[in-house]
Amino acid sequence: MNARAWSPPARSSVTLLRPSSLLGALVVILLLLSAVSLSVGRAPLDVGAAIAQWLRGESTLATLVLIELRVPRTVLGVLVGASLGLAGAALQGLLRNPLAEPGIIGVSSCAAFGAVVAFYSGFSLTAPLALPLAGIAGALIAVLLLYALAGREASTLTLILAGVAINGFAGAATALALNLAPNPFAVTEIVFWMMGSLADRSISHLQLAAPLMIVGWVLLLNSGRALDALTLGEDTAASLGVRLGRLRLMLVLGTALAVGSGVAVTGAVGFVGLVAPHLLRPLVGHQPSRLLVASALAGAVLVLAADIAIRSITVGPELKLGVVTALIGAPFFLLLVMRLRRAVI
Amino acid sequence: MLRHAVAAALLAGLASGSNAAPQRIVSINLCADELVLRLAPPGVVKSVTWLARDPALSNVSVQARYVPVNRGLAEDVVPLAPDLVIAGALTTRTAVALLQRLGIPVLELSLPSSVEEAFEQIATVAAAVGAPAQGAQLIADMKQAFAASPSVLTFISARPIAAVYQPNGFTIGSGSLINDLLKRAGLRNLAVEQRIDNYGALSLELLLFAQPDLLIMNAVENRGPAMAYEILRHPALMSWYGEARVVSLPSAWWSCPGPRLVDVVQRLRHAAQQLPPNAAR
Repeated sequence: MNARAWSPPARSSVTLLRPSSLLGALVVILLLLSAVSLSVGRAPLDVGAAIAQWLRGESTLATLVLIELRVPRTVLGVLVGASLGLAGAALQGLLRNPLAEPGIIGVSSCAAFGAVVAFYSGFSLTAPLALPLAGIAGALIAVLLLYALAGREASTLTLILAGVAINGFAGAATALALNLAPNPFAVTEIVFWMMGSLADRSISHLQLAAPLMIVGWVLLLNSGRALDALTLGEDTAASLGVRLGRLRLMLVLGTALAVGSGVAVTGAVGFVGLVAPHLLRPLVGHQPSRLLVASALAGAVLVLAADIAIRSITVGPELKLGVVTALIGAPFFLLLVMRLRRAVI
Repeated sequence: MLRHAVAAALLAGLASGSNAAPQRIVSINLCADELVLRLAPPGVVKSVTWLARDPALSNVSVQARYVPVNRGLAEDVVPLAPDLVIAGALTTRTAVALLQRLGIPVLELSLPSSVEEAFEQIATVAAAVGAPAQGAQLIADMKQAFAASPSVLTFISARPIAAVYQPNGFTIGSGSLINDLLKRAGLRNLAVEQRIDNYGALSLELLLFAQPDLLIMNAVENRGPAMAYEILRHPALMSWYGEARVVSLPSAWWSCPGPRLVDVVQRLRHAAQQLPPNAAR
């Protein structure tokens, strides 16, 4: 019997939807939010007219704002949200820990540190690809470190403590790197790297991050069946034909690629990878393989909705994306902690 | 109150005779650095800020090389036993309070919001450092230069709109020195039309939609990359504004009172004259 042929018994759940209808609903919401995202902004842009002009091949101010500003922002929001949702679901499956999330366990902040070093040293000016690659390297170190500290059968507490330490160290290293950067603006930009933002990102940022991100997605999405088997424990999964070493490698690399390349162009956006899988888990019958795609879609919906909210507030300078996701995600995190406590008692 | 009293006392002291002129002057403000180095007699300036040596920020970086520098801290200033400290009204507040408590005369300079106020400040500093004649000469030279270069209005019928675009997408509106310089160059300021006072954020979308005729950006500062500059290099901005409509100005030129203000107006007038006739609305 191999992992592909194996399928766990569906848990009884009153809220269980047919897979296609759940994914269909998420895709419809995502498309609607994308349309809203294209039409929200400071300038009074007639999106319909702009699209018509663009289709006719005209180059006007409206098409410029649409294609160079709003499309990259929307697409990048979708990609980064999907990466975080997907990575959150995959990490929770790999570590069999409900609180695993790229932000909480320090993967995002290590990726930010890598990107900061590549960016402020001027290295990414000469070799643009160095920016996402450095982000990926930072994320990779964090995931490996975490796996070494809290990988096998570790308690939730161990994972969170390891995350606190990694987050603290990466944050301090980022602050140090920004202090040493020659540019006086660098120090104030820690807010961008810690909180994340999609403001004024361009097509070039999208081109840098998207290919590596999608490679990460492929690795993560292909691990679904093995993650299902892993819910029964490592030994059982191994006896079912799951090659654990290969699975870990795929998930570690996939997370690093998806999260690292995203953080390198938008900064670290927290809590998306926590909220998205938890909201969707009951709806997919607690089955990791089905959770992956659903969580990716939900992550994209969350980030897009948060970014639309930010752009709808027209007073003062723009909020950082992580401010909104943390305002929603942190209470959610507390709720989860309380529920876990109750379960333990 | 105290500030005015100190300034008045200084001026009164200067009026009573040249022997009262300070002999140990310390500046703890970038704009004051430029004025003392340009106006004070040689040898009496004992220290200027470390920023004065940075050619990206200062117009007197060469002169500042020969003067010891401070970091605007009271502990840098007190050992120099100054008989006059010139500070900014908005910066190094703790140091200023401490120096005043020690009885050291401190002259505080506010941020000039127009060329007229810049002239007043030049005259104030010149009097305080015992060089009123040099101050009067500098002001007269600047006034003559402002009058000498012709106004844009004689070349084109309508006044072009300019927008100052700074790192992080900030622009500068009414109540600022650069706004007065734009006016003197015969330009309208987009930030004023968007009702932005002083320093305010202007989104890239709004900037593009407003279609200013001229975009005034900081001349390239070779100080390492920062996210703050990304917006100024955004492909949308670069594809809409060719080289011709971007005016590169070192921000040091229009940040402080001094002869560089004249260069700003001349550069702006020149750029406006290069605009195609149909550009102005």
